[in-house]
Amino acid sequence: MEAEKRIALSKHEHKPLQVNPIKHSQPMGAALAFYGIRNSLPLMHASQGCASYTKVFFTRHFNEPIPMYNTSVSDITAVLDGGDYSILMSIENITKKNKFKPEIIGLHTTGLTETKGDDVRSVGEHIELPYCYVNTPDFEGGMESGWALAAKALIEQHTRPSSQIKPNKIVILPHVSMQPIEIEKIKAFCESFGFETYALPDLSTSMDGFFGEQQGKLGQGAIGIDEIRGLGESAVVVSVGTSMKKAAEALLEKNAAIKHLHFDHLMGQDKSDNFVAELMSIREIDPSPAIKRWRGRLQDAMLDTHFLIGSSKFVVTGEPDMCVGICELLQSVGGSIEAVVATVYSPILEEIEADTVFVGDLEDAKKHFKNADLVISNFHAERILHMEVQSHAELVLRGFPNYEELGNQLKSDQLYEGSTYFLFEVANKLQKVKHHG
Amino acid sequence: MVSRAKIKELMNESACSHSKDKKPAEGCNMPKPGLAAGGCAFDGAQISLFPYADAVHLVHGPQTCLGASWETRETLSSYEGRDHTVMGFTTGITTNDVIFGGDKRLEDSVDFIVSEYAPEAIFVYSTCVTALVGDDIDMTCSLGSERHGVPIVPVHAPGFVGGKNLGSRLAGEAVLEHLIGTKEPEETTPYDINLIGDYNVTGDMWQYLPLFEKIGIRVLSSLSGDGRVGSIRTAHRAKLNVIVCAKSLITLCRKMQEQYDIPWISVSFYGKRDTAFAIREIVKALGDEQLIARAEEVLREEEEKLEARLKPYKEIFAGKKAVLNTGGNKSWSIASGLQDLGIEVVATSIRKATADDVEKAREYLGPEGVLMKTPASQQSKVIDETGADILLAGGRSLYTAIKKKISFIDVNQEKKVSYGGFEGLLNLAEDLNYAFNNPVFANVSKPAPWKGK
Repeated sequence: MEAEKRIALSKHEHKPLQVNPIKHSQPMGAALAFYGIRNSLPLMHASQGCASYTKVFFTRHFNEPIPMYNTSVSDITAVLDGGDYSILMSIENITKKNKFKPEIIGLHTTGLTETKGDDVRSVGEHIELPYCYVNTPDFEGGMESGWALAAKALIEQHTRPSSQIKPNKIVILPHVSMQPIEIEKIKAFCESFGFETYALPDLSTSMDGFFGEQQGKLGQGAIGIDEIRGLGESAVVVSVGTSMKKAAEALLEKNAAIKHLHFDHLMGQDKSDNFVAELMSIREIDPSPAIKRWRGRLQDAMLDTHFLIGSSKFVVTGEPDMCVGICELLQSVGGSIEAVVATVYSPILEEIEADTVFVGDLEDAKKHFKNADLVISNFHAERILHMEVQSHAELVLRGFPNYEELGNQLKSDQLYEGSTYFLFEVANKLQKVKHHG
Repeated sequence: MVSRAKIKELMNESACSHSKDKKPAEGCNMPKPGLAAGGCAFDGAQISLFPYADAVHLVHGPQTCLGASWETRETLSSYEGRDHTVMGFTTGITTNDVIFGGDKRLEDSVDFIVSEYAPEAIFVYSTCVTALVGDDIDMTCSLGSERHGVPIVPVHAPGFVGGKNLGSRLAGEAVLEHLIGTKEPEETTPYDINLIGDYNVTGDMWQYLPLFEKIGIRVLSSLSGDGRVGSIRTAHRAKLNVIVCAKSLITLCRKMQEQYDIPWISVSFYGKRDTAFAIREIVKALGDEQLIARAEEVLREEEEKLEARLKPYKEIFAGKKAVLNTGGNKSWSIASGLQDLGIEVVATSIRKATADDVEKAREYLGPEGVLMKTPASQQSKVIDETGADILLAGGRSLYTAIKKKISFIDVNQEKKVSYGGFEGLLNLAEDLNYAFNNPVFANVSKPAPWKGK
């Protein structure tokens, strides 16, 4: 097995099919982005199945009722309709039936409607409600790009151009793998520096596991259409994750005076330090005592866990923006990354320093499991790791979907605080491996 | 290819009881834009065939179709070889395939699967995109079958042709056309049946199969719970087709009756009465006096044992009332189970039920029972009026239960245990007992300190 050919990092596929895929589709990413907008109607331009699968997928991951609508494209409308009929009729039927008035329609396409080539932009001229369209065929890209494209479309189509800025206004553009609490923590972090803070998309009040009435009818994100319109007055835009760079650039198009800060991720001491340094220099104030305390706790956690993590090998799978953060944090305490198996190609993958980095599926990842002490992957890895490979390795579940554990939406790996908890979780799992080894 | 004529035929099934009330060619309707909910035809086809553990299921389409759906259904299998039901295979087509066609990719994928996994068969599912661009899946499958000597079965149920029910019918067509009758069984008995439409979710079948064994009923093949491709190929030699809670596969059974002279019956294994009734129907249809006598004997024994075990629960549940809000055949099958446990079912939803289901629901609930057409808006009032103690529904209705301060069971969520057969009834009793005794519902309904009276 050692002689087995290593798969190279490439934009091209290395086999004709995927076996046990980890990749998720663009329209699913776009749908999730629209859940992060207040009173939005996530409308998938698709046959009913695409929306149904998406709904079930997120329902099980978040354990929440999920708002998800579709244009019910049939074989007949697929051929005869250019999209106008099914989209306009859908909006009419859905709003009438549910007796609600969404503040924005978030229309995203799929492989089916892109193949037939609908002009979803011009349909908007006939829609009275605010409307955002995004082209997300599921034969291109993945969940990460679908989410990013939706964020970009919201800015391009709805943010007002501006030449002025509000000096304390900041907007965060988080990548798709961030869970609701992570977005909330980053926002609170910025707020502690005195910023008026927004996130786009903002899931912190949407999929966050909150018990209330009227759930699952419309998107319940913490940012509304009015706030999106006013994002052009931000002093700072922070893109977190390579996938979000283009959305930040779209915002700069609206106002060149906005300062753009980009972070590949916000995990571990280095990236958190850089983030703090930037916020300090803009606001010209010191971080709060709590932030300083958390930095010390992270350092303590790094020292406490370095022995276990430093002597261990890891396999990490998932969306590129998530993988890069996890790898850097583990490496900062001496962990060796045996392999990174990513869902799709991203230039950031070129910068990960691991033995092997490539785009693939769990059939590919499996070959590396036997050399690992710990695998960080989604729930599909569980059965493969313990039933098929019978590896001694433990599993830490990250990324979509996680059907195994409850409370996914409240797990934070970001900044000093989240990184601290992450290191302890990893080390505690490794404790079991090492003791049984 | 799937033709419109075939879809029309499937949507106008003469054996469906509601068909007699409809004008010719009216059939089951296409959904209105925006209002189609639930899975698509591909979803239905996949649900119907995926439990074949010895076959590989290859989805020829873009990422959503399989990426979001594999390893999600608890369809258990006792297969000792490599279990493909927990795996996902997709061609995951790209822009290139949409422009130039995905036939080559499909062909290469089939070769890859045969060489790496050597399955007994491969099911190839077409999807909206590959159907629309016109990939010649039939040809690729038939050439692949010749090349490798294993059945490679095209399943033409792209999502946009309709809902899950139609997809399940189309899956039945594929099995009838490509598998049934292609192999002879090693042995046959006068008591051979095919089980149609039980997918063994959470091991539902295993709750009643021990009863079959005791009586002497033999399952020749299954479509498709704990099924094998090797045995469904011999299904034409069975004496009886038994449809379990699945209207969608009536067409398959009618056609098997026409082609192979196999009669069919439709039964359910939820609750004590339904299970006993189902077994009596099966042995009656097989028509062997000895078998019928044996069945009565086994049923008497088993029912006695069950009653003894149910007794403590019945005492706890005496006088309890339940409102049921769930879809399709569950509108009456779970009601039946609840009644077997001594719980009064005061209302049930008929929102997604067929004409047959509505009739059955009325029969089970009696003239006083409320059949809710719009349960989301009705259930709250019904709970008040009937003084119900528990709501069994999907997660969205949890808020209603909390507001009304009554117990709740999520019946639509992926359940981990089976409610089928005699044993399953005990599982249901156990879950109900926990729900009635759990203080969580009362606790969560307490007002926040900042909320005035």
